[in-house]
Amino acid sequence: MALIVTLIFLSSGLFLGWSMGANDASNAFGTAVATRMIRFSTAAFLCSVFVIIGAVTSGTGAAEGLGQLGAINALPGAFTAALAAALTVAWMSKVGLPASTSQAVVGSIIGWNLFSGSPTDLGTLRRIVATWVISPVLGAIFAMLLYKLLVEWIRLTKPHLLSLDRNTRSGLILAGIFGSYAIGANGIGNVMGFFVAASPFRELSLGPFNVTSVEQLFLIGGVAVAVGVYTYSRRVMMTVGDSLLTLSPLAAFVVVVSHSLVLFIFSSTALESLLASWGLPTIPLLPVSGSQAVIGSVLGIGLLQGLKGVRQIRWGVLGGIASGWITTPLIATVIGFVLLFVVQNVFGQEVFHPLDQVLRPAAIERFNGAGQPPVAVVAPGLAGF
Amino acid sequence: MSNETPPLFGKTRFLEGLIDEFLDKISEGILLVEMGIKSYLVNNEETDICLEKLNQIIEIKRRCSELRRTIVTMLYTEMLLPDARGDVLRLLGSLFELLDEMGDNYQELMIVQPRRLPEFGSDFSDLTDMAIRSVQAVVVAARTFFRTPAAVRDHINEVRVFEDETDKLAWRIKRRIFAADLSFEHRTQLREAAAMIDALADKAENIGDNLSIFAIKRSL
Repeated sequence: MALIVTLIFLSSGLFLGWSMGANDASNAFGTAVATRMIRFSTAAFLCSVFVIIGAVTSGTGAAEGLGQLGAINALPGAFTAALAAALTVAWMSKVGLPASTSQAVVGSIIGWNLFSGSPTDLGTLRRIVATWVISPVLGAIFAMLLYKLLVEWIRLTKPHLLSLDRNTRSGLILAGIFGSYAIGANGIGNVMGFFVAASPFRELSLGPFNVTSVEQLFLIGGVAVAVGVYTYSRRVMMTVGDSLLTLSPLAAFVVVVSHSLVLFIFSSTALESLLASWGLPTIPLLPVSGSQAVIGSVLGIGLLQGLKGVRQIRWGVLGGIASGWITTPLIATVIGFVLLFVVQNVFGQEVFHPLDQVLRPAAIERFNGAGQPPVAVVAPGLAGF
Repeated sequence: MSNETPPLFGKTRFLEGLIDEFLDKISEGILLVEMGIKSYLVNNEETDICLEKLNQIIEIKRRCSELRRTIVTMLYTEMLLPDARGDVLRLLGSLFELLDEMGDNYQELMIVQPRRLPEFGSDFSDLTDMAIRSVQAVVVAARTFFRTPAAVRDHINEVRVFEDETDKLAWRIKRRIFAADLSFEHRTQLREAAAMIDALADKAENIGDNLSIFAIKRSL
């Protein structure tokens, strides 16, 4: 019975996975499909396979950044927060806007924090919101530099139109595979991270291989993403790849690579330690939105072409997409809050465990030093601070 | 349908080879037409050389038609050049039409065999030279399109200059034909021969105009 209940609660995570597949696959293969360089069926197959590989092999620990924002501590709460994020992303997909799953998840976690009275770590929130601005800007800068370099290289080498087409196509496939792997590795934490503590699976031994319960959880999450890719991602792919600015295949390649680079610098521990070893400021490792990086890259290519490119950008579509960046977390927060209320009060589920929390000794000393009366008990949600 | 079989690997290189061969054949066909017309102008009658050239042109047209069909089929079945496929097909199609029209005109010249041509032989030779230069320039522009689209503009400009000169020469010949003491039948035959050659340069210019748009679309 407990297993059935757990599986029911897991269903919202699968729904969120499906929504992510419908939406985020466009970041890896959207421009390639929209420019007709790769068939949708090929893109969907490659994307699904590599999302699953990324999720199972590198998915663990991907949700750490979001964990700092707020740790949902009850399974019904996780179910509800995941459902809120999934409903938000599914609705955005339905209207053809590339919503960010990580934005929706951030919104639903804040909704849970508000509902449970837990504090939101404003420092982490500020850093996450800052990446929502920085990632499209970085995407644009990478796209401009990369496009300029490639154009110069083509001018020098003068490849035949067909050779250029073949190389661009191969590049798009490789970049799409890398992007899909990154979506699986980084995104699956957003989708199934809610349920890691409550995984109903047991460790499996398949000959020399051991499959942990978390890997099994991420595997079914990855399959849900793959189903989303196959069933609903086509429309968003066309929006990202074609509606904003008509892209050439070369520009499509640049967009996918720029998007992957942005994801890489915000998630690479190797880069972080390299920068630190050189005494340079490090880049915070946070979940960034691939959709925003893609849109930034497309805009970068438009802007590179000067006034002609600026005129070609469909600003109305961009306005719709950008408004989605503001409304996605807000909608997810509101839906999350309302659903938590419904689940708690209508279905009688405990959506959070109230925690008795104490202040750290240093904080108590600060209070005492400031002439405040000694504090014994304390506001909830400050454990760990 | 052509019997060219694309290899399992290296389709791109194979197709590049077919496009290059197509353009080579078009250039060859243009030279054959030029040689055939010149030979006719020199001899003022249908010689063995003229007939030989006609047969060669017919063979080249057949090969070009076959190559064009293979290229079209491959571009679509292999999903190559999704953004430029239509432009490439239009370009190859119009180049083939140009060769076809040149061959037909040459054949018609052999059928009609206008009399009194020797009196205007040097004028017709100049006209043919200029029209052929225009056609050759457009083939060079087409070849350039596949590697350096930005350079197409220079060749298109040449096409326009040659076409302009061809128009002027044709106009001068027609005035001379109608100023000469000729029967209506001869005047009509000679005027049509001049118009036929002039039309080749016009056709080359039209292809050049389309090509300049294709090149703009491909510019990086």
